[in-house]
Amino acid sequence: MITEEIIKKIQQKKGDYPVFRSAIMSALHEIQNTEGWLSQESLYKVSGMLNIPPATVKGVATFYHMYRHVPMGRNIIQICTNVACMIMGAEKLVDLLKREFGIEAGGTTGDKRFSLVIMECIGACGTAPAMLVNDDFHDNLDEKRVMDILNGYK
Amino acid sequence: MQKFLLKNVDNPRSTDIREYRKSGGYKGLKKAVEMEPGKIVDEVKKSGLRGRGGAGFPTGMKWDFASRDPNFPKYLICNADEGEPGTFKDRHILERDPHLLIEGMVIAARALKVGRGYIYLRAEYPAAEVILDKAIDQAYKEGLLGENITGKGFKFDLSVHRGAGAYICGEETALIESIEGKRGQPRLKPPFPVNVGAWGKPTIVNNVETFSNLPLIIEIGPEEYSKIGNPDCPGPKLYCVSGFVEKPGVYELPMGTILRDIIYKHCGGIKGGGKLKAVIPGGISTPILPPDKIDCQMDFVNLPKAGSMLGSGAVMVFDESVCLVSVCMRAMQFFEHESCGKCTPCREGTGWLSNILERIENGMGRNGDIELLLEVASNISGKTFCPLGDGAAGMLLSFIKYFSDEFDHHIENRKCMVN
Amino acid sequence: MITVTINDREIKFDKAVTILEAARSGGIKIPTLCFFEGLEKFGGCRLCLVEVEKLPRLQTACTVMVTDGMVVRTETDAIIRARKAMLEFLLINHPLDCPYCDKSGECELQDLVAQYGAEEGRFAEGKRRHPESFDDPIIVRNMERCVTCTRCVRMCDGVQRASAITVTGRGDHSFVEPFSGGRYDCEYCGNCLTVCPVGAIMSRLHRHSYRAWFVEDEIETLCGFCGVGCSMILQMRENTILRAIPRMGMGINKGLLCARGRFGYDIIESNRRLTTPLVRKNGELKAVSWAEALGLVAEKFSEIKEQDGGEKFAGIVSPELTNEDNYVFQRFFRETLFSNNIDSIIRMFYAPAQAYFEGIFGQGITANLISGIGKSDAVVVAGGDPTKINPVLGLQVRAASGNGAKVVSLSNAAGLKRFASSEPVARSGSENFLYSALLKALIDTRGLPGRSGSIEQEIGNIKWPNDEEITQRTGLRKSDIEKVAEDLKDPKNISVIIGPDIMINNGLMGLFLIAAIIYVLDARIYLLSERPNEQGVIDTGCMPDTLPGGRPLEISSFREKFEQEMGYGVPGQKGLTLFEMFEAIGKGDIKAAYVMGDNPVFNLPAADRIREAMSGLDFLVVQDAFLSETAKMADVVLPAALWAEKDGTYVNLERRIQRLHRAKKSVGGLEGWQIIAGISGLMGSRMEYNSARDIWEEITRASHLYGSVSYEDLATDKSLWPYKGEPLRSGKWEIKIPEEVVEKTGHGCHVYPDRLLFHSGSFSRYSPALNSIQAEPYAVMHPDTAKSIDIKDGDRIKIAAANGWSIELVSKVDNEIRDFSVRVPNVFEGVCVMSLVDYGIEPGTGAPVWKLSDIKIEKVQ
Repeated sequence: MITEEIIKKIQQKKGDYPVFRSAIMSALHEIQNTEGWLSQESLYKVSGMLNIPPATVKGVATFYHMYRHVPMGRNIIQICTNVACMIMGAEKLVDLLKREFGIEAGGTTGDKRFSLVIMECIGACGTAPAMLVNDDFHDNLDEKRVMDILNGYK
Repeated sequence: MQKFLLKNVDNPRSTDIREYRKSGGYKGLKKAVEMEPGKIVDEVKKSGLRGRGGAGFPTGMKWDFASRDPNFPKYLICNADEGEPGTFKDRHILERDPHLLIEGMVIAARALKVGRGYIYLRAEYPAAEVILDKAIDQAYKEGLLGENITGKGFKFDLSVHRGAGAYICGEETALIESIEGKRGQPRLKPPFPVNVGAWGKPTIVNNVETFSNLPLIIEIGPEEYSKIGNPDCPGPKLYCVSGFVEKPGVYELPMGTILRDIIYKHCGGIKGGGKLKAVIPGGISTPILPPDKIDCQMDFVNLPKAGSMLGSGAVMVFDESVCLVSVCMRAMQFFEHESCGKCTPCREGTGWLSNILERIENGMGRNGDIELLLEVASNISGKTFCPLGDGAAGMLLSFIKYFSDEFDHHIENRKCMVN
Repeated sequence: MITVTINDREIKFDKAVTILEAARSGGIKIPTLCFFEGLEKFGGCRLCLVEVEKLPRLQTACTVMVTDGMVVRTETDAIIRARKAMLEFLLINHPLDCPYCDKSGECELQDLVAQYGAEEGRFAEGKRRHPESFDDPIIVRNMERCVTCTRCVRMCDGVQRASAITVTGRGDHSFVEPFSGGRYDCEYCGNCLTVCPVGAIMSRLHRHSYRAWFVEDEIETLCGFCGVGCSMILQMRENTILRAIPRMGMGINKGLLCARGRFGYDIIESNRRLTTPLVRKNGELKAVSWAEALGLVAEKFSEIKEQDGGEKFAGIVSPELTNEDNYVFQRFFRETLFSNNIDSIIRMFYAPAQAYFEGIFGQGITANLISGIGKSDAVVVAGGDPTKINPVLGLQVRAASGNGAKVVSLSNAAGLKRFASSEPVARSGSENFLYSALLKALIDTRGLPGRSGSIEQEIGNIKWPNDEEITQRTGLRKSDIEKVAEDLKDPKNISVIIGPDIMINNGLMGLFLIAAIIYVLDARIYLLSERPNEQGVIDTGCMPDTLPGGRPLEISSFREKFEQEMGYGVPGQKGLTLFEMFEAIGKGDIKAAYVMGDNPVFNLPAADRIREAMSGLDFLVVQDAFLSETAKMADVVLPAALWAEKDGTYVNLERRIQRLHRAKKSVGGLEGWQIIAGISGLMGSRMEYNSARDIWEEITRASHLYGSVSYEDLATDKSLWPYKGEPLRSGKWEIKIPEEVVEKTGHGCHVYPDRLLFHSGSFSRYSPALNSIQAEPYAVMHPDTAKSIDIKDGDRIKIAAANGWSIELVSKVDNEIRDFSVRVPNVFEGVCVMSLVDYGIEPGTGAPVWKLSDIKIEKVQ
């Protein structure tokens, strides 16, 4: 559901830009923050709110990798596998997560508790490997630490 | 050495404006508001500051072009889309000393007569967004943003524009497209953003670290500033070191510090006493260097002489345990993933290179694959729309230049030299 | 002066151009793929890379501007290697399914590879797989073949401005898609088909039906669907149209087409075409020979003429036929039958509106270049949606908006949403309140120009409605109108575009107020024209009161001069206008009618009353390509050729005379003039024409307007108003507040004809392609309207009018219908919305003014 509150936030964001359509990325973020992903209906609503053709909204929404186009689990594990994390063992952690939760990259557990997303660099190279769980940042990971951290997400 | 850019980052309360003020914050701005805008531009020119985003373009010159453009309104954008793998310096400032950035931006706004600014923040830094929003809020409350700043009658509004996961938006014209709400693909240049930028208006885009140098330049004056570091490209520089060193992290050192010193003096040498195999000095789109090339100064002038580039100053250190074929492959997969798709060689070529590297890494390499890699990379190099493809090709060419043995070994023995 | 050296040749330019343009002007070829004339520069494919001295990298010729002293090389070894490399890159994912691909033979990638090589791809892994999409009835998308040149998207965004497709994803996962990812929700202009260089976006209509090299002939002709007069090419094989394509830069459409033009050509090949004459025998239409049919017409007409005289005939011509057909028809009526009862459907709007504006501002006042709209700094639209009625003209309005012009839309114009700076739409029936409020507001902001005391005096006599009345009647707030006046305060170069709905219930009052607004704005006038040759009908004298060329026939000096020059007589009294004819038919004052290429019992208001009247005729001849509702009533039906089967001329809404070129032989129909000349000959007036050209030459003698336009002039600017002459500005520069013709009753729901993008008139229903886009009529209404009568989207409803007639169809709820009317297209068989409305005749112009009465809508189970 796109709530009144989201609509209000989007309306507010419009004021940040000389052209309303520039609020599109904020609008997509706002909706994704509550819905967890961007459905076709959501894209259509953004089109209406900002007077942008629906196809154009879709073009923007699919260009950026952090907009999600399938429903996500309650918690999104976004683990970096770029060079700095890779050489510090990120691949092993990804294998662990796949094994532990029985999901592939991009997948969601049957109980909708976790989705696993492979990320490019998240700017934690000095404390690699690292991941974001939802908006929370975790670094200096190893297999045990990852599982301990994830235990805190229900 | 004395810290200018990181002086507050170890203070856990540094994001609060009162703490920032305590350590002398907003003094540069106070001084700047007493100066004629043109004078500030002159001082920045005189300081010799070069952009810290990667290309090292002289900031004063960029500002000069922008301030000469008669069109208004103008826009000021902070490029906080720190996407270059290996780089995490801007995040330090964004999360721990946001007022330094804000102060720098307000000074720039004053100098360039800009009324509206944006911080283009990558979505991978959600914590920074919260911190920045709060800091901006404080700055508004204290009259450092908004109408009539510091009572001097100039106006500057600032807000955060959150990206959504696209490395290419670090390229300034792609970033502008993205701020406008479009697909973040680079624009044709000319016209340059200083004349035709966001919403068709003159737009100045500078990196977080670049803005963060401004309070210092104003405070101590360009003469003093240019005494820091290398005279060709002066000032303090943030180096972020990752990989196999004892003490990885962000280091503020004078521009031009010797790479060997960064690794061995400041970062405590190779982790566990291991042996250095290679260094990427400026983020993965800069060419890799073998151990015998690390006695060069880390700046925009001297690194190219050594065969690489300063880039974002992201030093990635690899010891003998690292398989460079897999590093190369992973880096190329990154470029493939991040290619915007606008131009043929980058769109198709990065994928092809990934493909070849994957088969080599997986023990399926063929005779002639190295030659093919070289040829495909040179078919990309110099022919792409923007520097992303060049970075990918240059990275690969350097890996083969110095470490072809490792690639050969993979192909001949169908397995890795290291593991 | 800029001097550039390309491949050691010096070329000079007055202004900066791109390297590509410079090279091409010097005859030097540089290969391109993403470049397309008229689209925004892109520079993505990297095929046009060239060397520029002093620049370290290769440069894209399509984007880099030449500078004085620049030295360019276009064919060095390094460049040729680079081009080959780019093609090799493209072939990584592009399938080599050329034997199966319809584009083969006209594929730009194929041609480039043939020239530059990449004879052998070294890419060893599998190509990107992406199934071909058949979700759309018209457009098939094959994204495996897509080379991401984005020409289609730039066309859709930047020229058509429909933004119906986009690139989704990024990198080598970039695909072109409509929003749904499957079926298009678009205007089906098909301009993306024009620009796709490979077989990625193709028309389904002729899929696998031919290869590019099967085309035997290409005929450049005009589109027969509306009054813009777009040029297009019909590709032919064995007397069959393979497809209709535009050619970039060609014609006034510069290579753009709309859905009707591009896909509607299949009506020509329809299996419902009439192929033989029909004669009613024992109550049924039976196939007969041409000789028998024409003989019967001649016999009957001779009989009636002799017994009752020429005034017992009614002649209806068609703006879908050529000048040549219509000219010969009027000659037949005047010379052979001695009757001036000649008129056509343009009596509904085009003719009275033009006559009205010419009366005020002078002859030719509506003759303005369509391309001028795009250059205006403000555009006002009233009485229709130009993007639907005249789609290619509509693009100019969008272009104007793109150039920063203020676009004010005073009518329901869904196609201008996103482009209009203000859209005050009045409740149906209250438009005149809006127009007068706007006029008043404009006088307040811009002042009166003082050029005509007479006009300004009459403006002074207008009884202005007060704010309260305006809001109550129109549903608009005062601020809405002030916003429009503000938008129009400063512009100097204004276009006013007027559509047919302006007459519907406003009659002359609407035209009067718009004329006053035009006066205050000092604006150019454009009349939307639903059919291809409305202007030609006027110009060829197919009017009851004017001779070819437009001179009034009742002025004896004009008539006598004409008779002397042409050698045939013209009755001295003007004939009946279209609706007067039907009144006369109803009263039994007319005995025979000849309907040439129209369908009045479906197309005209009070259609059923007209049908009743016509059923009382002694003798009805209908000439048509299809067995229309009117043809079904006829005593003789004569099969006619359609535009692609004809030579001749059309005059578009700019008053530009353009030539049609015959692409194929008709399946059985004859051209209008051939039929008429045949009948005429049997009745004793010999008309000896061998070709359309012979008739054109006669028209130039008959019409002082066309007098200077030779057949050879027709493809040139000499065929554009004022045809080498000086524009006449004989207007009276005065206006009169007109009388209201019909009494307005009811303020509830009114029904209007919906003018569709995908159909026009009652014959596009025979196009399978257009029907595949839209095959069904629907009643479209605003959600509030729907709610007030408890109707939901998709309900089957019955709409009943006060006159007792009703129609049944499906409802469509759409907030783009903002005036609380219910709109029904008057296109589809069995659903004649025109039967629901009644009209009164405006005495000055003979135009019908609709009597709006409340309709009743109920759900049908």
